[in-house]
Amino acid sequence: MSTPTLTQETQTQAGPAAAAGEATTERNPALSPGPGKTPAATLRRYALQGGRAVWGAGAIILFLLLWELGPTYLAPASTRVFLPPLHEVLEALGTLIGNGQLQNHLAASLSRSASGFGIAVVTAVALGLLVAWYGALDRFLNPLLEVFRNTAALALLPVFTLLLGIGETSKISIVAYAAFFPVLLNTIAGVRTVDPLLIRAARSLGLSNFQLFQKVILPSAVPTIFTGIRMAGTSSILVLIAAEMVGAKAGLGYLIVNSQMSFLIPDMYAGILTVSLLGLLVNYLLVGVERHFSRWRTAVGSRTA
Amino acid sequence: MTSGTGPIPKISLQNITKKFTVRPSKDNPEGAVLTALDGISLDVSAGEFITLVGPSGSGKTTLLDLLAGLTKPDTGQVLVDGREVAGPGRDRAVVFQQYALFPWRTAAANVSFGLEGVGSDGKRYSRRERAGKAREYLELVGLGGFEDRYPHELSGGMKQRVAIARSLAYEPDILLMDEPFAALDAQTREQLQTELLRIWATTGKTIIFITHGIDEAVYLGQRVAVLSSRPGRLKEIVDIDLGDRSGDEDVRSDPAFVEHRHKVWSLLHDEVRRAQEAGHAKIQPDGTAPDETRTIATGKAA
Repeated sequence: MSTPTLTQETQTQAGPAAAAGEATTERNPALSPGPGKTPAATLRRYALQGGRAVWGAGAIILFLLLWELGPTYLAPASTRVFLPPLHEVLEALGTLIGNGQLQNHLAASLSRSASGFGIAVVTAVALGLLVAWYGALDRFLNPLLEVFRNTAALALLPVFTLLLGIGETSKISIVAYAAFFPVLLNTIAGVRTVDPLLIRAARSLGLSNFQLFQKVILPSAVPTIFTGIRMAGTSSILVLIAAEMVGAKAGLGYLIVNSQMSFLIPDMYAGILTVSLLGLLVNYLLVGVERHFSRWRTAVGSRTA
Repeated sequence: MTSGTGPIPKISLQNITKKFTVRPSKDNPEGAVLTALDGISLDVSAGEFITLVGPSGSGKTTLLDLLAGLTKPDTGQVLVDGREVAGPGRDRAVVFQQYALFPWRTAAANVSFGLEGVGSDGKRYSRRERAGKAREYLELVGLGGFEDRYPHELSGGMKQRVAIARSLAYEPDILLMDEPFAALDAQTREQLQTELLRIWATTGKTIIFITHGIDEAVYLGQRVAVLSSRPGRLKEIVDIDLGDRSGDEDVRSDPAFVEHRHKVWSLLHDEVRRAQEAGHAKIQPDGTAPDETRTIATGKAA
């Protein structure tokens, strides 16, 4: 199924380069929705699209197949206990959802990462704007920020636990810490890279500093800031799971570790699966938001034209 | 200072000098002083279209920044309507070579940028009024129907039209244009020159237009002011009399045009050569010129 797609793709790519008239005439009616569309061409196009979709999902399907069949047929029986096939994991996931446990853990994790993430975004954007605006503040703070930025958040987990206990405060704090730096650095970069010509243009209109900030610098920096926010979203989940594994009474990290200790191996995998799905979802959402705010940016590369 | 007789000129430059301190660099540890403009005096009357030509680095943009109120002269005075320019104001609008449109705003939103907030006369426009003004001025520059386009969807010529509409929208008396058509192709440039003359005729603005092009200067200006190579001094002002330019005939091949053109060319020729020999380059907004440190460095080596 996937092999013909590949050859077809290479054919269309080589077509114009080799000036092969055949390939070009074949391609055109299929691409343009004009009246000259033949059923055969339509069919071929659907086949192409379908083939692409299968090829795109192929790796995932293969992986899931391996997960399902591997433990039963390939692995020794002892391993099978530690690596249950997919359907057992899904069953466990169903049970966890059925008795409401998963929702509880998910809610606990989500509220922690959302609060930490929220705190980080608000403070980092505010500080980033200040630092980027006042050069002196930047020169003063930058060395310290560099030190903190390059200290892995998880390395500080013991410190957070010692100072803030194992309750919510320490977990929210470490999430906030981890999410803080991507947002801060991108905010600074976003403000720094505002086109000086736009600032000149706004100044020539007699805008005050505040108006300049509100109408030129901030909107211009928004896409870069959102890139930072997206990165922060990913890292906030990452760090939270780790923190929950160390000391917590609820949350996805706790679910994973606790299941492992209680030898509920399928439950453990159900927790891991939830974490990766959650990560995917969050990233997808934030990419959507980022794209929404960067619509005008589509052609920045060709601005000189 | 003012003689007291006759009407007050719209714009009056009185013995303007502007110097920049070149920041110390590796080649030039003491830093240096760059004189961009030296003793410029010029009166421009209301409704006049004056063009400014000069070789690279002769301080044309510096002069425009002074008029816009973005910088202050070291000596001398810049007067608009007899009052000293204290800073940027909405009685003057600047059109830049690189359009300077806000890429996150549509054409209409760019045009209405200067209408937001409280104007200098304390007037505040409603959203609807701003949209109406934006449409009106986009129409004036020939871009009716392009209100909702983003700058990246427009060609260079269209972007510059939007920029001109933005400058006109808040109804300044003076339009300051810094090589606005330099980045456009020849055909678009010619088209926009004609349009600009039409807009000037309909709106009656006072226009100061900086250019590199002698043809452009002669075609557009009622007077052409020629600046010398650095330090920029006013070399001569050439009066241009081409009669009615709004007609369809090819003004550029008119004998009078050719004659004026030649005059400006000869005035500029020596200056351009001098500037080239000195290796002058554009003065950066922060007051440095890339060539200045180089000449000093080679001077030291010699």
